[in-house]
Amino acid sequence: MSLLLQSLVLGVLLGGLYALLAAGLTLYFGVMRVVMIAHSAFLILAAYLAWWFTSETGLDPLLSLVLTVPLFFAMGVLMQRVLISRLRPATLTMMSVLLTFSIALVIEGMLGFAFSGTQRRIRLDYGGANFEVFGANVAVVKLIAFALAVVSLAALFLLMKKTQFGQALRATIQHPEAARLIGINTERVAGYGFGLGLATAAIGGTALALDSTFYPSLHWHWIGPLMAIIVVGGLGSIPGAAIAAMVLGMGQALLQIPLGTTWAQTFFYIALFATLMVRPQGFFGGRLAQRF
Amino acid sequence: MPSASDTVSTTDRRSRGSVALKAVGLLVLAAAVLSFPSVAANPFILSVGVVIMSYAVLATSWNFVGGFTGYISLGHAAYSGLGGYATGLLVIHTGVNPWLGMLLAGLAVAVLAVPIGIASLRVRGASFVIVSIALVLILLLVFQSWGSFTGGSNGLRVPRPFGPEVLRPEQHERFFYLHAALLAVALLTWWLIDRSRFGMGLKAIREDEDKAQALGVPTFTYKLIAFVVSAFFTALGGGLYALWFGFLDPIFQFSILVGSYMVLMSLLGGIRSLFGPFLGAVIVGYAVEYFKNQYGDTQFHLVAMGLLLGLVVLFMPDGIIPAATNLVDRFRPQKTSIREVTQAELAEQRRTAGPEAAQADQQARTDDGTDIPTSDSTVTEGARS
Amino acid sequence: MKTPYRVAGLALASCLALTACMSSGAGGDSAEDGDGPIKIGISLPLTGDFSEPGKGVQRGYEAWADYVNENGGLLGRDVELTILDDQSNADRVAADYEKLINQDGVDLVFGPFSTRLVVPAAQVAQDYGFLFVEPAGAAEEVFTQGFDNLFYAAPAIADDHYDYLADAIEALPEAQRPKTAAYAAMDDPFAMGTAYGLKSRLEEMGVETVVDEVYPPNTTDFGSIAAKIADSNADVVVGGTQYQDAVNMIVALQQLDYQPKMAAFSTAPTNPEFPEAIGSKTEGILSPTGYTPEADYPTNQEFVEYYTERNGTPPAEDEANAWTTGQVVAAAVEAVECASPDPECQSQLIDWLRENEVETVVGPLTWDEQGRPEGAHLIQQYVDGKIRIVLPEEAAEAELILEKPAW
Repeated sequence: MSLLLQSLVLGVLLGGLYALLAAGLTLYFGVMRVVMIAHSAFLILAAYLAWWFTSETGLDPLLSLVLTVPLFFAMGVLMQRVLISRLRPATLTMMSVLLTFSIALVIEGMLGFAFSGTQRRIRLDYGGANFEVFGANVAVVKLIAFALAVVSLAALFLLMKKTQFGQALRATIQHPEAARLIGINTERVAGYGFGLGLATAAIGGTALALDSTFYPSLHWHWIGPLMAIIVVGGLGSIPGAAIAAMVLGMGQALLQIPLGTTWAQTFFYIALFATLMVRPQGFFGGRLAQRF
Repeated sequence: MPSASDTVSTTDRRSRGSVALKAVGLLVLAAAVLSFPSVAANPFILSVGVVIMSYAVLATSWNFVGGFTGYISLGHAAYSGLGGYATGLLVIHTGVNPWLGMLLAGLAVAVLAVPIGIASLRVRGASFVIVSIALVLILLLVFQSWGSFTGGSNGLRVPRPFGPEVLRPEQHERFFYLHAALLAVALLTWWLIDRSRFGMGLKAIREDEDKAQALGVPTFTYKLIAFVVSAFFTALGGGLYALWFGFLDPIFQFSILVGSYMVLMSLLGGIRSLFGPFLGAVIVGYAVEYFKNQYGDTQFHLVAMGLLLGLVVLFMPDGIIPAATNLVDRFRPQKTSIREVTQAELAEQRRTAGPEAAQADQQARTDDGTDIPTSDSTVTEGARS
Repeated sequence: MKTPYRVAGLALASCLALTACMSSGAGGDSAEDGDGPIKIGISLPLTGDFSEPGKGVQRGYEAWADYVNENGGLLGRDVELTILDDQSNADRVAADYEKLINQDGVDLVFGPFSTRLVVPAAQVAQDYGFLFVEPAGAAEEVFTQGFDNLFYAAPAIADDHYDYLADAIEALPEAQRPKTAAYAAMDDPFAMGTAYGLKSRLEEMGVETVVDEVYPPNTTDFGSIAAKIADSNADVVVGGTQYQDAVNMIVALQQLDYQPKMAAFSTAPTNPEFPEAIGSKTEGILSPTGYTPEADYPTNQEFVEYYTERNGTPPAEDEANAWTTGQVVAAAVEAVECASPDPECQSQLIDWLRENEVETVVGPLTWDEQGRPEGAHLIQQYVDGKIRIVLPEEAAEAELILEKPAW
């Protein structure tokens, strides 16, 4: 019984991180109809920056967020302006996949250049610290990562719902042409949307770096589950992505008990295929997903 | 404009002279390929030739779905890997003749591709790519974990089709010709489809799927057939490679990088051209060897491949062959006979046909509006101006 | 469409260019007359997933070559290494040996790193009749492929790494033996081999297996695996690990407050960075090792001194295995008095190694028909914060701690 509870706790903690990252992917897709393969490569880049920050300064990796979040936001805006917007609209979805794929390769190669292929891990004094809740152990680092994800998601949600920029962003996602007609500069909004998406990768990467090892080619390991999450959730729906992330994250953790690590990983892909067979637009997707 | 619809009309208008020229061109190409083993200085270069031919087979097979329908699959390594494993397992467990085993493996993968195609072709664009990536990752997990059947992480040794009396250099030579033969079959099939009504329908899907559907093209069936044919040839390519290389490891068989090489090669050469993927395979295959020689022990090969793919996507999405053809056409507006350009001149033009030319070409295309369908274009139209 | 014509021209041109450029390197044949250096070809994973140990092996090979050259060479000739990078990729490793043998015209080849790369490489060497001594393909599967040219230059194959530990447990009175054991191994022939070698020995003694987990090499989240192990509360935990996975697993186990009586992990604990990664919680962790700088084998002291002077740090296991590979091949070359790609010479080298014992820095080595070394690994343990040899007793530097302190 305690194993079940323990797995559930682990699943929730992991699901939070998945949810944040999937929200970023959803943002790109929403504003630009771009499937951002390089999202997880930026995730690993952020993890490396956090590690580098800590090993250079000796400060807590969480402080690196002060630098990486604005940096990633700027990179996202720049990427949208300089690269993505150059693509032909007719083939945008397909070509953007290839373009972001190539960006992922470049990031992986550069990380290998700069930091070698060695696996890295930030050693934290509180790395092994834990406390007990109802017989389940909760690691402090995992809880910090989870809190980081929840806070960021909440902030993103408030930004989308309460601010003028958020309204413009949502309008651009829902109907870019109409948004343009009512005077929204959809180009700029799309750029900022991209920046926000990349900022989630910065936060996610730092959260990841707290409690895991990373190496340059690790991003392949993340991109599959994340892609599955956004399809299951319905392309373009942020709440859908978040819910799918939680469900799949917990499902994976629970399935690990009877099936073992490897087979449990296939859960994401089976959910992906099942979704496409049963409900191709995803379980929370709206009008958008149908066409893509 | 050398767009797809032109291909057919040009073919219709062809003169006897151009037929002869094409025949000569094909003969020269065939002679060049067939004479490669005898000019290769040593078995290593021959083995590089086999690898390049294998790439060419895979890229051409990829192009059945990528080139005809415009659906970009990043996960075709799934089918080459399955073809390789199916061939190996058939030979090991049933002891069938390796060549028959390879064919059976290709057919099995084609059958398997039907449900996969049904699942992934129902949705367009983004989801298709996601499924193609997911397929590779799931197969990697399955083949890695199911050790009792696939050999798992220990890998699978595939017995050789030729006896021990056939020495390794001789093996390379035979497999070079076998790959060339498979490539020829794939190219012939591509060419036949390209000229058929079926091919017209597929290309209509590529240009505008909604319109094609409105015009009565059974889009889903067409896409599915192209997809299955592509999987079949890819699996044959994988099987042939497995028989040559003799060792399969899931990590290297089900690798997204292998699939992306196929995409890069096809895009680089030109996905609308018969010989585009072949040309791309020769260039990329050679470049890989070159980069490894020059920048041996760095991660540069990944960066180089990423940059190359990015540049092609941004500046030359139609590939070298259309870009070069376009450039030649610009120099000779009245479309004179091809005889006026010598090989040397062509080569020179191709050298200068850098990104600028390709970009200009792209600009020209969008300016006259041929490539912009009416739908889907709203999102970034502003960005172009 | 005029494409075929153009493509034909281009294809022809590139075929010729390919041939021309690639053959511009060294000629196919080497100095047959015995003058000039002995060329040795090696392919190693210098980039990619295995790059870290790959570079260790490279350091070992280079140190060995320098040492040989400073001490009169081999058969009076200098040795010259050609090291290519296989990018941790099986296709590339085969192409590399193909190139080394055919294009660079090397006289001898040494093996690459990692079990996954040894099999395809050994195939190439076998096809050209080359002797293939390798420093890192320890998994049992390497030796069941029917290679007759392959020798593993280390004391024991993966499955036998824990033999001394198993013997020690077996020697305990029944009541003191552990009752239950949990195993978690990376899905990698080497890592799994070590854990399952110990598993079969313990099961023979009646130690119950309560957890048996295999995880993919890319796993970074060990929460769930640790949860299973912690839930089973096994007396012994055995990790078939490389490096970081062991660190991650140990941290995850600590997070769940699991305290085993005995904890054994392969490879990772012998890494000098390990104590730093785990912090002060290493006490009592066991690990098999094929090498220790302290060993008093005849050539070892000289190796350690030379290597430390050259590189500033004492050699680790990867470096030692590379050096051993050099010693093994050199012994055969000196005995047979030939070093050329000629099949006659290569088969003499192979035959000699089948029959003879070689004195190396990891001890005297002999091989069975398939190339398995017939020695055993030492067992090390963290005692008072330092990793020391605890088994076998005749080589022990410290007493084996049977009841592991809490981590």
